[in-house]
Amino acid sequence: MTHKVPEASAAKVARPHEAATAKERSGALVKRLLPGSYLLIVLLLIIIAGSYMSPDFMTPRNAQNVIAAASIVAVMAIGQFFVVLTGGIDLSVGSVLAMSTVIAALTLQSGMSAGLSAGVTLACCAAAGLFNGVLVVLLKLAPFIATLATMSAIKGLSYIIQSTSLIQISNDSFIDAFSRGTSFAVRNPVLIFIAVTVVGALIAKFSTFGRSLYAIGGNPEAARLSGLPVNRNLLITYMISGLLAGLAGLIAAAQLRQGSSLIGVGYELDAIAAVVVGGASLFGGKGNPISAVVGVFILAIIVNVMNLLGISSEPQLVIKGLVIIIAVFLSSAGGVQRISEFGKRHFRSNPAVGGLGSLGVGR
Amino acid sequence: MGSDGGGGAEQVGLYVEGVAKSYPGVRALKGVNLSVKRGSIHALVGQNGAGKSTLVKILSGAEAPDEGSISVGGVPTRFRGPTDAQRAGVHTIYQELSLVPTLSVAENIFLGQLPTRAGGRVDWEAMRDLATDALARVGFGFDVRRLVSSLSGAEQQGVELAKALHKNARVLLLDEPTSTLPRPDVARLFVVLRKLADEGVTLLFISHRMDEVYALCDAVTVLRDGAVAADMMTTDITPSDIVTAMVGKSLEGTIADAALRGERSPHLGAGPSDEVLMSVRGLSAGSAVCDVTFDLHRGEVLGLAGLVGSGQSELASLLAGARRKTGGVMTFHSEIVSFANPRDAIRRGIGLLPQDRKAQGFVPEMNVAGNVTLASLSLFSRFGVIKGAQERSSASEMVARLGMKVSSINQPMKTLSGGTQQKGILARWLVRSSQLLICDEPTRGVDVGAKEDMYELIRDFARSGGTVIIASSETSEAMMCDRVLVMARGAIVAEFDHDGIDPQGKVLLESFA
Repeated sequence: MTHKVPEASAAKVARPHEAATAKERSGALVKRLLPGSYLLIVLLLIIIAGSYMSPDFMTPRNAQNVIAAASIVAVMAIGQFFVVLTGGIDLSVGSVLAMSTVIAALTLQSGMSAGLSAGVTLACCAAAGLFNGVLVVLLKLAPFIATLATMSAIKGLSYIIQSTSLIQISNDSFIDAFSRGTSFAVRNPVLIFIAVTVVGALIAKFSTFGRSLYAIGGNPEAARLSGLPVNRNLLITYMISGLLAGLAGLIAAAQLRQGSSLIGVGYELDAIAAVVVGGASLFGGKGNPISAVVGVFILAIIVNVMNLLGISSEPQLVIKGLVIIIAVFLSSAGGVQRISEFGKRHFRSNPAVGGLGSLGVGR
Repeated sequence: MGSDGGGGAEQVGLYVEGVAKSYPGVRALKGVNLSVKRGSIHALVGQNGAGKSTLVKILSGAEAPDEGSISVGGVPTRFRGPTDAQRAGVHTIYQELSLVPTLSVAENIFLGQLPTRAGGRVDWEAMRDLATDALARVGFGFDVRRLVSSLSGAEQQGVELAKALHKNARVLLLDEPTSTLPRPDVARLFVVLRKLADEGVTLLFISHRMDEVYALCDAVTVLRDGAVAADMMTTDITPSDIVTAMVGKSLEGTIADAALRGERSPHLGAGPSDEVLMSVRGLSAGSAVCDVTFDLHRGEVLGLAGLVGSGQSELASLLAGARRKTGGVMTFHSEIVSFANPRDAIRRGIGLLPQDRKAQGFVPEMNVAGNVTLASLSLFSRFGVIKGAQERSSASEMVARLGMKVSSINQPMKTLSGGTQQKGILARWLVRSSQLLICDEPTRGVDVGAKEDMYELIRDFARSGGTVIIASSETSEAMMCDRVLVMARGAIVAEFDHDGIDPQGKVLLESFA
């Protein structure tokens, strides 16, 4: 496919009015949706390394565990991606997730059906996202500050609503829908995250809304001067982030069978790290949702391998931090380019001596 | 033909030999030789991308050349950084200036080297006296305790000069020093520069204004594509020849050539029709635009002229809905309109080519196609889904029609040249058949060749029934319009018809200040 598609796109530019065949078009579509190949290579290398380092890694059970945990962060990461795309950031998603589990548990406990409960929860989380949006767009607070504040406020609110130590969830249809059940031979949480990823990718690449977010992140003033509805779309973006955090919360609540304001601590950093590892720039205007999800899996697998190797949680955090530094340096900060330039400058081959910098040439 | 008049090495203020510099993918300088006689004023001209700024960076020590040597006052030197260059006596005065606005004049002149008494305490009195002397040497007498932010552009430039001279500058590089100065200040600057030259300071004057080059400089070096294309005394070369050397081919007879030589500019418009397209009465926007009143006729090319900062840009933004008005009435097609945002104006067929294309014009990482359709997404989509094929074909059509130099419509805008970027922004409005184009400094930072294209595109647009407003600080551009409104301090102070302006534009320039 990689060999066929460049011809197809070249053909399109040369003969723009000829209809591309269906095969060419679908090939081009998939190519445009796929993230940079280097990211997939990294993922592949990590999977290979993982299977080397631990015999338990490549088992179906382990794979299920990894995917189940990753599904939650992946759903959140899609929402975070859109916010980061506009040049913003949403630190409140961990707290929104916690609030989501609490509201779901409470409504279920009060006898509401699974469907209605999920609906009410999602509505509340979307409202929380909208509140973030209002702070950023209308009060013009920096997104970092606004969502830092709501992170704290929403967590406190969840704790107040909760009022007990934790709330059990025993509604079977809820648990089936968001955790246990399978549809099309795939676990529901996996189906949910795949659906969210696909919709996210389609919106980012092919919708006017998605295009406007790339413009708003890339150059907000140019977007404004081109007549794009900047404020409206920013509000929607923060709402989406809240909504998806809520959806992730439903999955978490069903998995843990409880609602608690203590769930989800630190998830916002996982989501942000995944988005950046996936190549999005924190300044906005760059990236795509599928790369963000690949980022989620890269980080999730590394954590999983560390767990299987028995590394305790504190060293794990150190390693996680280092991985993020390296990954971000290579992807978003243009590290690959800078390293090659550094190599060229200091190891430029001198015709008199020949060969590389190991001979001390070039300074 | 060099410009050094023989004599010993001490006669040569600045000598550059075989300087070459490459960046990834581009050879910015290919072996440049330059010899500037001590105490002379030497012009350096060339288009964007010719290597001027690279040469300036090398001479000021900010970058090291890959090959070649530099000698100051006959002594070969190697700069490891700007501080080295300054120690060797080479100082650069950039267009943006490098002063700290929140500090006083004296503190700026002595930045990093405040005179001290025993114990490291600042000697304010000595600093004040020395600063006043330094300032007097460049012809200014204001209080050195004033904050730099309170000074005018010309005064700030004076401080910058004083700072350089105080550090015993032997070679001064001036990068486009006159672009923001009103005429009287330009004249005064030239007097100061001449005096410095007579005292033995060597001056390198970088500019694109032919009239200034001829008024001030003894010799001129033209750079083209990283190499020296011409190096003559100003008495031995004509402006046309300079332009030809800059571009590599003769531009005689073209609009851009006339504009560059500051001559009688051809007429861009076809003359206004009787129909009034837009009229404004008492329009104001804070203190930036004061009580502006005029009528705009369909098919007209209207110029808003004035020095940088006189309000033309702000008025242009106002008319395009990019800025809120604080007073006055605007009517469009005889209907009273009030633009709350650019979208309102765009819907009525108005398009803005903003002044700073990098900050306001295009989305850098987005490709050409995306940038071209940015203001017309609703025209290129159905139910919120973008019609890719239609977008690509319209973008390709625009690229061909406007002569945009792109290898593919998928190229990110940031990789294109200034002129091509500007055309891309123009395409944004042509793609939705806008009827009024408001251009704010349409050829700023655009090469001579692309300038020509822009003028032609504007002319074609006007001749096919479109209306254009050009806000510009370049008198040559203002002179191309059917009518020129001169602005100063936010208000309209004069109005001229195309035929009422003399070929050198003197009446315009006099009304600027």
